[in-house]
Amino acid sequence: MEIDVIKEKISNALVSILGHNNFEMHDELTAKDVDGWDSLSHMMIITKIEEELNIRFKLRDLNKLKNMGSLVSVIQSKI
Amino acid sequence: MDLIYNIQKSIQDNYDGNAFCISNTYYTYKDFAQIISNIRLVIQTSVKSSEINVGLITNDDIHTYASIIALWMEGKAYVPIHPDFPASRNAMVIKQADISTILDSSVDMIFSEYNTILTKQCKISEINLNPNPISEDDLGYIFFTSGTTGTPKGVPITFGNLSSFIDAFWKLDYTIDNTDRCLQMFELTFDLSVVSYLAPILKGACVYTIPKDEIKYSYIFELMEDYNLTFALMVPSILHYLRPYFDEIDCPAMKYSLFCGEALPLDVTEEWSACVPNATIANVYGPTECTIFCTDYTYKRGEHNKTHNGVLTIGKDMQNTLTIIVDEENNEVIHGQSGELCLSGEQLTPGYWKNEEKNKETFFYKEYNGKNIRFYRTGDLCTVDKEGDILYLGRVDFQAKVQGFRVELSEIEFHAKTALNKINVVAIAFTNSIHNTEIGLVVESPIFETKELLDDLKTKLPQYMIPTQIKFAENFPLNTNGKIDRKKLKELFS
Repeated sequence: MEIDVIKEKISNALVSILGHNNFEMHDELTAKDVDGWDSLSHMMIITKIEEELNIRFKLRDLNKLKNMGSLVSVIQSKI
Repeated sequence: MDLIYNIQKSIQDNYDGNAFCISNTYYTYKDFAQIISNIRLVIQTSVKSSEINVGLITNDDIHTYASIIALWMEGKAYVPIHPDFPASRNAMVIKQADISTILDSSVDMIFSEYNTILTKQCKISEINLNPNPISEDDLGYIFFTSGTTGTPKGVPITFGNLSSFIDAFWKLDYTIDNTDRCLQMFELTFDLSVVSYLAPILKGACVYTIPKDEIKYSYIFELMEDYNLTFALMVPSILHYLRPYFDEIDCPAMKYSLFCGEALPLDVTEEWSACVPNATIANVYGPTECTIFCTDYTYKRGEHNKTHNGVLTIGKDMQNTLTIIVDEENNEVIHGQSGELCLSGEQLTPGYWKNEEKNKETFFYKEYNGKNIRFYRTGDLCTVDKEGDILYLGRVDFQAKVQGFRVELSEIEFHAKTALNKINVVAIAFTNSIHNTEIGLVVESPIFETKELLDDLKTKLPQYMIPTQIKFAENFPLNTNGKIDRKKLKELFS
């Protein structure tokens, strides 16, 4: 899957959980930069991304998701 | 006070061993001793000897832990202050506890209006771990918990209380030595943190903490696997988060896996036991008022375990605690009957900090075995069986009256969870627009059609216990102590 497609799906997942699109999808983007992305919504975002891309994260993957770049590369390794 | 001398001796005996592992960096007991000494010197020079309670900003670093030991060696108490809590709440705590000095390991001080000691900037001094004289009645810490009226209430714990807890804890025989690696997953504003750092320090073991910007449950898993942790005290909600991943977890190094702070369901415990195949699993119980925890039950693998509504027993009182279960007139109930669990003994706080009204409400004296003994009302509804094992039934205030009938919310939760094949639920009693009590149910799941669930519940429960409203939350909100935030869930109903 193209990186752009992955990013678009992540972006859709974020919008559907957080209810806004006030963020830019660059590699350095972290949860702290995005309004409402906290430890609670994180679980929901992760679940949504799993659904959208039909993948399943391992428990060990979750700690690697430090920023958008790492999220995309973990997803790439799964599809 | 032996406790403080024991801390001194353990640090000195284990200089070359690791004391802490924080964000993948190790600190030896010698490093720890050095930082404690640096901070002590500044306390000696800039804090008045009459000042007892000192604020402590709860960062996750070696300086914060060293500050606690430094304060204790100076005979002072720490009052944890969470930098992320609302400023107004922190201000109330600081005022109530008469704090004028705050120890802060941040780079830029959190509060500018008090005498702040920036602990990272203390100059290197000679190592000095000789404690000042301390008596049992001196305070070790004050933890502030939420009060029903909105003003936080302070629970002061003396060195005598803490020392009695530690003695009783060792008697449980969940042994730790200087080869152990122990989890400390709690915010320092939660008193389960105290045993999580203090027990390892007293045995020269290594404490592993959770950085604040990490996702707790997945980070705990990595610590357990990557560092082969051997001892872990956790809240049961961590298990609920980890449960979908149990098949990925295998931690044979774990020797003791303790749970406290919330009801521990038997089915999750059974599944968890496969993830920690060599561990002794225990369910411990206790409020902050009775110093960390005061009853204990060791889970029996492959055997029958006592439960009520699927919740594991909290076992028997520990060595220095006396438990009784009383009715509304403070008379002990007979075995098998339910009532409010009351606690007494050496671990019991001298009383809420400057709150006589609350003390009168919560503590009472009662003749027991020929002595006049002070008891604390826990607000927990319990029953005790003939063997002395205490079963937790729910909060006294989680018990609701619906149409005049007594309803135990935990019972509804149990049946709903069973019907939903272990999906987590919380039952809430809320007041509807005509001021009647109704039962709401929040299901931790995406939305689904609830007819089947309700039909099933109707086969198990009387009509008045059937939830009138069902809401969904993909994940339950947690409060800062990591427990399910029932207040927030209650807001879903009106």
